[in-house]
Amino acid sequence: MTITVTREAKEFRRRVMEEPGAEKLMRCYQCGTCTADCPIAKRVPEFRPRQIARLVMYGQKGRLMEGDLLYLCAGCYTCYEHCPQEVHVSEIVSALRRIGLEEGRLLPGFKALMEGVAEMGYIYEIDEFENEMRMDEGLPPAPTPDTEGIEAVMRATGFLGKVEASRR
Amino acid sequence: MRYAFFVGCTTLSRLPGYEKSARMVAEELGVELLDMPGSGCCGTTYLETLDNVTALAVAARNIAIAEEMGLDIVTVCNGCTEVLTKANKTLKEDPALRDEVNEVLAEAGKEFKGTIEVKHYVRMLMDDVGLDAVREKMTRSLGSLRVASHYGCHMLKPREVLMGDDPENPTVLDILVASTGAEPIDYPNKLECCAGPVMGVREDVTWSVGLDKVETVKRLGDALVTACPFCYLTYERCQLMQEESPGLPVLHVPQLLGLAMGLDEDELGVGHNKVPPTWVLERLER
Repeated sequence: MTITVTREAKEFRRRVMEEPGAEKLMRCYQCGTCTADCPIAKRVPEFRPRQIARLVMYGQKGRLMEGDLLYLCAGCYTCYEHCPQEVHVSEIVSALRRIGLEEGRLLPGFKALMEGVAEMGYIYEIDEFENEMRMDEGLPPAPTPDTEGIEAVMRATGFLGKVEASRR
Repeated sequence: MRYAFFVGCTTLSRLPGYEKSARMVAEELGVELLDMPGSGCCGTTYLETLDNVTALAVAARNIAIAEEMGLDIVTVCNGCTEVLTKANKTLKEDPALRDEVNEVLAEAGKEFKGTIEVKHYVRMLMDDVGLDAVREKMTRSLGSLRVASHYGCHMLKPREVLMGDDPENPTVLDILVASTGAEPIDYPNKLECCAGPVMGVREDVTWSVGLDKVETVKRLGDALVTACPFCYLTYERCQLMQEESPGLPVLHVPQLLGLAMGLDEDELGVGHNKVPPTWVLERLER
């Protein structure tokens, strides 16, 4: 596919590199250590950390924001640790997720998870039913999270509002 | 020794065997693990990727609870360990960010002061309790077992945040395995991620990653030990998803330690392990 680096593409690259952790993008010399060592890339042909870095360099926003691509990163930090140039592709993926969320895009599973934390204080519901099971096991009840406090914190930063307004 | 015990969502609600054994072994070693009133989710490693200040604030709210208790935090989940350790370090080192986060935290009536440490359970055993004290409690050798350790990513990485073991050559779990008399084994791809975090996006990928490790370890050893609920669930579930389970027992680290300490199998919650560790138990020296 022919790539044309437009003004918008350059602007997108600049925007990504502003994000904390993504500053070192232009150090990447495409050695491919990240892709070679990535546990996901071994099994998912379309997930290529090296390609993600390259696509950001060329400002190819559309291809990066397509489908579930950005959510296939397990966040294992293997590329982060192994990169000879400290490019930190895992952090670039995070930067792209944040830009996506700014623009109203979030994977539905992530949206549900984050709304769940705000509502329940945990990623799962942990209430009477779970506490009865815990009691049968001789375990103390799970701490009762201050859900009001957690939700207030998540809302005060503007994050929860963005999550609630987000679409795929 | 006393700690604020941050159990974490997954262990609290899904893995009584992990929590029971962690509590039992701590008690055996004279370590008090106190519950943290009002604590909730650490925020998850996902939140870190979506919003930095929110991730720091949600984590710091929990840290502030331990600060009020005047105790360091002990975790049993690699994800919680990474999230809480990173928040604690970042906010201690960056006063401007701390002020920003504290402004948000005021919404929950909390303040981050930076007075405590966060550590994974296995680091508590190694660094605070000490290996000698752990060994002293061992009453039976697991000498006939070959045990593979799976460290998991966020106990070790990023290294500048976790500052424990070398992520390229970690030793803490193998040392603990050896303390039971069992033989710690090396195996190909020992450091590979469990891929648990993509379970909700591409389940098939997680099972494929899990089975690769399970099949490798099955050829070389008798059991796999983990120190994280997500890793544990990946290696257990990927086997249960198969028509014919490979049958590799997966144990939580404190379960293995507890067995060597002669603690009761039921009290260690071994019955909750869904790949029955029958042959591990059969080979215990009585």
